Amino acid sequence: MSEANRNSEKQTDTNRNMSSKADWPNETYAGTARDTWRIGNLEMTSRFFLGTGLFPNPFVQTEAIRASGAEVLTFAIRRVDLESAEDDSILQHLEPGAFQFLPNTSGSRTAEEAVRIARLARASGLSDWIKVEISADERTLLPDPIETLRATEILVKEGFTVLPYISDDPVICRKLEEAGAAAIMPGGAPIGTGLGILNPYNIGLIAEEASVPVIVDAGLGTASDAALAMELGASAILMNTPVAKAQDPVGMALAMRLAIEGGRLAHLSGRMPKKRYASASSGLQSLIVE
Amino acid sequence: MVELIINGSRREVEAATVVDVVRELGLAGRPVVAEVDGAVLTEEQWASTEVRTGMNIELVHFVGGG
Repeated sequence: MSEANRNSEKQTDTNRNMSSKADWPNETYAGTARDTWRIGNLEMTSRFFLGTGLFPNPFVQTEAIRASGAEVLTFAIRRVDLESAEDDSILQHLEPGAFQFLPNTSGSRTAEEAVRIARLARASGLSDWIKVEISADERTLLPDPIETLRATEILVKEGFTVLPYISDDPVICRKLEEAGAAAIMPGGAPIGTGLGILNPYNIGLIAEEASVPVIVDAGLGTASDAALAMELGASAILMNTPVAKAQDPVGMALAMRLAIEGGRLAHLSGRMPKKRYASASSGLQSLIVE
Repeated sequence: MVELIINGSRREVEAATVVDVVRELGLAGRPVVAEVDGAVLTEEQWASTEVRTGMNIELVHFVGGG
């Protein structure tokens, strides 16, 4: 089979799965029928925030967004390339008004830089949501907790809907919530690593303690990571690289969506307790062997 | 002619206001945000903001990102 045929077969598979969405248990099972959640004034059904970087081309990105079911898309803010005549704006590929935009402050190293980027983002008139992302160094891109807290305090006062990206530390997460963050976004692992959730205990504790939505952001690699985050009690997932850098980004976007729905439903349904030894499903009474 | 620093580079323009700068750079109608000497402008303020030699202008937009 040629590469092109294989790809077209894969595409068909993806389409079939998407069109069978109506048969998905979620549609008929009452437990998640009205399982919506909210940030600020926005009520959402999807629990998948999708990033818009690194996709191979705008067509694949558009299809991946559709397959993901995402209602919130993230962006970065950068200088316009004045040497390039063509319109390289990412927004030209998106249906106006169809999505909530979540610009980030990536590239900032201090609270002041993040606040500046946030103000620029809001002046676009497209969104007053801001993902505070302040990296302490380029090798790990780990968030600087002190600067993130400072930026959150400033931006909340200026009326932004603030969603800080932060390390998986339950105490700093609590402080961000107290500072008025609309959601808390702890990382599972460093940005773009695909290492999954390195500290499930912390993510679970953060989700348990928070009274604002907890969105696991960064470091996830594949569908089981997304399912685990939801099982641990996260309200949603934000990811970019695992979808954009998959061999089939559209297929992976759908896989993540289903994993998020599966993990969410498992969380709501309550898993069985773990046991150290076996426990037969049929019991040992009335055995036919003596 | 005025000499401005636009996105970190020196550039001579004929423009009298920010709206002229945006037009002269071929960015009219594009979703661009302008910052002049550290102050973020709304698009309504572009026409009334005059540019003078030495002003520092940043023109930014949304790009792909997580």
